[in-house]
Amino acid sequence: MKEQEKGLAVEAVCLTKMYQKKAAVNRLDMSVREGEIYGFIGKNGAGKSTTMKMLCGLARPAEGEIRLFGKPVSDPAVRRRMGVLIEAPGLYPNMTARQNAVMKARCMGLADERSVDEALLLAGLADTGKKKVKHFSMGMKQRLGVALAMLGNPDLLILDEPINGLDPEGIRELRRLVLRLHETGKTILISSHILGELSKISTVYGIIKDGQMIEQITSEALEEKCMDYFQIEADDVSRALVLIGEAFPKVRAEVADSRLVRVYGLSEGAGLIRLLVEKQVQVYASGFHHMDLEEYFISRMEGGRADV
Amino acid sequence: MFNLFRMDLYRMKRSRSVYVCLGLLLLASAFVYTMMWLLAVPQGQETAIRIGMLTAAEAQDYQMILDGVDTLEMFRQISLDGGAYCAIFGICVILFVCMDYKSGFVKNIMALYQNRWIYVGSKLLAAATLNILYLLLNYLFVLLLNGLFGKMIPWADLRDVLFYMAWIWLLTTAFAGLLLLICVCARSTAAGVLAAILLGSGTIVDILNQIFALFHLGDWMKYSIYMTISAGPSKYTSLQDLRVFALGAGFLILYSLLAGIVLQKRDI
Repeated sequence: MKEQEKGLAVEAVCLTKMYQKKAAVNRLDMSVREGEIYGFIGKNGAGKSTTMKMLCGLARPAEGEIRLFGKPVSDPAVRRRMGVLIEAPGLYPNMTARQNAVMKARCMGLADERSVDEALLLAGLADTGKKKVKHFSMGMKQRLGVALAMLGNPDLLILDEPINGLDPEGIRELRRLVLRLHETGKTILISSHILGELSKISTVYGIIKDGQMIEQITSEALEEKCMDYFQIEADDVSRALVLIGEAFPKVRAEVADSRLVRVYGLSEGAGLIRLLVEKQVQVYASGFHHMDLEEYFISRMEGGRADV
Repeated sequence: MFNLFRMDLYRMKRSRSVYVCLGLLLLASAFVYTMMWLLAVPQGQETAIRIGMLTAAEAQDYQMILDGVDTLEMFRQISLDGGAYCAIFGICVILFVCMDYKSGFVKNIMALYQNRWIYVGSKLLAAATLNILYLLLNYLFVLLLNGLFGKMIPWADLRDVLFYMAWIWLLTTAFAGLLLLICVCARSTAAGVLAAILLGSGTIVDILNQIFALFHLGDWMKYSIYMTISAGPSKYTSLQDLRVFALGAGFLILYSLLAGIVLQKRDI
């Protein structure tokens, strides 16, 4: 099925949340198609968790509308199609992993406890026995949180910072788990500060800044935007910019900061460096770069590349 | 709601605080029974005199202490009338409900149930179940102690017991509703436990009573949960005795409504 033909798993329109007259989320629009892994990116306090809480029904929006699989979020049937892990996993510390999972299963009305064992197995917690959750490591708690979210085989998983506190091995396991779930057709909305991790799994990104969605972009489109550029560190960037414009009319150059110039569309840099040196512009360093998600995110946050 | 209730029962069975609180209630009954046996029963008095707890002259004074007391009256005086039951049962309710918030498990629940009334209903149902179990087990323990201590006092009439148990269950469940309201407002175990002790033991009601008395409004306090529990009827004698049921139902509905409204308005 083509991407465009897939229905929307999450659709938020004009979502607003106020905390003491300050908008934590401000007229945010979000669309997550079925089957996508949607990486939700933003700085601390940008409004990621608040948005996710509203999607899960844990916070009430001041304005706006949320639809899950085309139905209002208040519909009890549609809420059963969603599994959530918001901030720290909610677990009873004096109970075992299985007891916590059974609690969630009972809460959902699941009669068959086999789904509990399957979820624990999938999260790698099937052999924790009588060990109480309070004695679990942070990583085990996170994985149990994901296992609880997976109970009832939901079509949509909303995971807020699920790799927080995980060691590299734990992060890799969780990545594999998310990819496995994605292969089974699940839609996953995931937020994380570790952009490198998100870039390994996400098919679409949503970037939030000051409570507003500033961009939703597919991984393919991002790859195109994160094109190679030639970076020069020079003493007089404004003169360098003029010289590049005159000598290489087909390339696009921009000032990254007071000493850095980025040149897009250049195949080799030696001619450019020679030109600058001949025109007595001091060049301290130069080289080709490829922008990754982190750089792209930072450029969007700082507004440095308004044209990207 | 019944899914949540089933979940609560599962947790209740595995909750240590439920057994600790029940143990405290039974311990209080055992302690009072032992003291009564030492003070009021000739065989016990001999032991008390031997260990230096009583003098022979004092023993004479205590002989009448159990006159007119049956097992129901004994049960009331040990647990309910002084507020011990409400305080201990209240602490148990607070620990149970606040743990949802403290652990964060409430997020799992509320993500599934946007209708917060379901949560209020299930918690009240769980509290009412625990309440009836506590009351029955506590009373059965009093009966057991009475048997063990050689039928120290007469058995109460079963009809009186049923009448009393019915209204006291309703009122103490209403008290649980009040604590649920405090829990969803404060979301703090410490604040909740303090409230359970102050409200259950009647400290707040006593203070309010003193203040209201200054304005000649002290009579209103007799309609409070604490005063009704302390002064309510032990047997049905007239229609007026049914007032306690109306009070219990009224408070239960009021506190449940308030708890539901607070939950609907606040984010998790």
